[in-house]
Amino acid sequence: MFKKILIANRGEIAVRIIKACQEMGISTVAVYSEVDRESLHVQMADEAFCIGPAPAVESYLDMDGIIQTAHAARAEAVHPGYGFLAENAEFDRLCEKKNIVFIGPNSKALKLVGDKVRSRQTMEKAGVSIIPGMKRIPKDLSEFESEAKKIGFPVMIKASAGGGGKGMRVVHSPKDLKSGLEAGMREAKSAFGDESVYLEKYIEEPRHVEFQVLADNHGNVVHLFERECSIQRRHQKIVEETPSQALTPELRARMGETAKKVMQVSGYNNAGTVEFLLDKDKNFYFLEVNARLQVEHPVTELTMGVDLVHQQILIASGEKLPFKQEDLSQRGHSIECRIYAEDPLNNFLPSSGRVLFLKEPKGPGVRHDCGIFSGSNVPIYYDPILAKLIVWAEDREMACQRMIHALGDYVILGIKTTIDFLKDVIAHPQFQAGNTTTSFIRKHLGGWEGKKKTEEGLTLALIASAFDSLNKTHTGPAVNRGALRKETFSPWQSLGKWRIGGKK
Amino acid sequence: MEFEFLIDNELHTLSLEKKEDVFVVSDGERTYEVDIQYVSPNALSILIEGQSHLVYLARDEDKKFLSLEGQQFLIQEPQAGEAAYGKGDERSLEDELLVKAPMPGKVIKISVSENEEVRKNQTLAIVEAMKMENEIKSTIEGYVKKILAAPGDLVDSENPIIELATKD
Repeated sequence: MFKKILIANRGEIAVRIIKACQEMGISTVAVYSEVDRESLHVQMADEAFCIGPAPAVESYLDMDGIIQTAHAARAEAVHPGYGFLAENAEFDRLCEKKNIVFIGPNSKALKLVGDKVRSRQTMEKAGVSIIPGMKRIPKDLSEFESEAKKIGFPVMIKASAGGGGKGMRVVHSPKDLKSGLEAGMREAKSAFGDESVYLEKYIEEPRHVEFQVLADNHGNVVHLFERECSIQRRHQKIVEETPSQALTPELRARMGETAKKVMQVSGYNNAGTVEFLLDKDKNFYFLEVNARLQVEHPVTELTMGVDLVHQQILIASGEKLPFKQEDLSQRGHSIECRIYAEDPLNNFLPSSGRVLFLKEPKGPGVRHDCGIFSGSNVPIYYDPILAKLIVWAEDREMACQRMIHALGDYVILGIKTTIDFLKDVIAHPQFQAGNTTTSFIRKHLGGWEGKKKTEEGLTLALIASAFDSLNKTHTGPAVNRGALRKETFSPWQSLGKWRIGGKK
Repeated sequence: MEFEFLIDNELHTLSLEKKEDVFVVSDGERTYEVDIQYVSPNALSILIEGQSHLVYLARDEDKKFLSLEGQQFLIQEPQAGEAAYGKGDERSLEDELLVKAPMPGKVIKISVSENEEVRKNQTLAIVEAMKMENEIKSTIEGYVKKILAAPGDLVDSENPIIELATKD
């Protein structure tokens, strides 16, 4: 087993991985950019090293810098988290070359599945159904144009190195193809350092269902059932759950076996996820492999009783899987909401800045994977994910109720977040009925306006503000309430409607 | 004591007086007693006729951020808000002419050049924040008077990127 692991990431996922290492008795090394000095993962790790300026290309994407840091700190393995270098085959290969264990798939498998176009070819050959579209990256625009015509509009532009919705765009008509391609390529370049994009048929109103797979280094492969991630916005998942309401036991078994086959033909090891699109007629198409720990992994953990990060570390250190497929079954229902620093009332624009106050939701069956704290700074440079709220309950109905109340018990002040929006997603009758498709947000919450401010709410806000202003000369009021009372409520204040200068 | 606050650019007044263990609130229409206490530096417990309310509050210079029962409030003290409050109408045209990023970020592309004519909804610039590109569009018809930022610049939501002018 490893003695020390470097975590090449930031935010909630770095914190999640550090906690797993701590539980397993493994020392942790954090790396951080210049704007992340005060961040949570730096506070929690045993060691922390600055690896460069704020832009990710100069820090969290700096392969040589990270490998040098791992060597200097004598870390035996690197956990890449998700995003950044997690699916970078070049980094994976570099780690192998420099005798550092990359906690993830081997570089050959990563290269194959990371290349969306090549993996489509491989899967088609293996008899796995894929979405109609390009099987190679075109050289110039005219090729895109003719191919788009052949596939038929609307088409989907996708980044070959893609994931997480970055670089993805739906194009409805030929005149928008050029600008869509340009924007997709720029986003792909900045997110993955590779601007290759390709076109696929856009399947309307699909469900997005993915299967978690674990594969050890000894040829054992199991799937840990599905996650449904249909609730998306800008092709970015925001709510995930398991089990999916769309699968029958028969379909679930068939998709699970297909997922295992995808991993086997790819020569894949460690944790990975096979994504499928499920159309209205319950046909499923292979979409891509997410060759990393997924953002939404906790819903699997809560329903399976398996810690996926522990398993990743055990597999990477050469252990065999401790279970077989027939040992695995799901229990209860789990839902995750991603908490983003975005303003749902203003086109979901990113909201950076200082978190002035955080109150974490708590209670039975509530898990909060969090990368922020009261006073932390949310920089403009990185993904806007702040935290994830995950609930578990015996059934879906109760899981929805638990989530609604947990979101109601969750307060972040100072920056805009998606908390209130997510509450309305979960509370929506169509969500509760299980009618979740990728067009859910657009169809049901397109013109979301937030909760109407009531007269009572306004009055309470005024009372609280007035009371707070009365006390504002004092710092940290609750720390010493006795002293506060004595000083604050002096005779000057009890004189009532009287002001120096007689104004008003 | 009288208080004035700006909420969503609207001025609200309230009187709050200490009376023994409670406070007397008067909002011009009604007068009633409230029991109000800090339960932590960022949380206030308010009891009104037996109804229990919890208000979360944080301060940032002249602003207060409040969250209560699923409603969010941004509250400003009157002195700071008065300028914005008083300006009223003339702000809107000025805002449309001085194009700003909707959020802090990095300029990826300036899509127009100086003296170029622009249509309504034409993309003027692309600003990226948190890995998402956002197109900034013109809300008026006119021409580009001045370009004030270049690709690669970090911008905030206060300083303009492009200055437009109407044609006449």
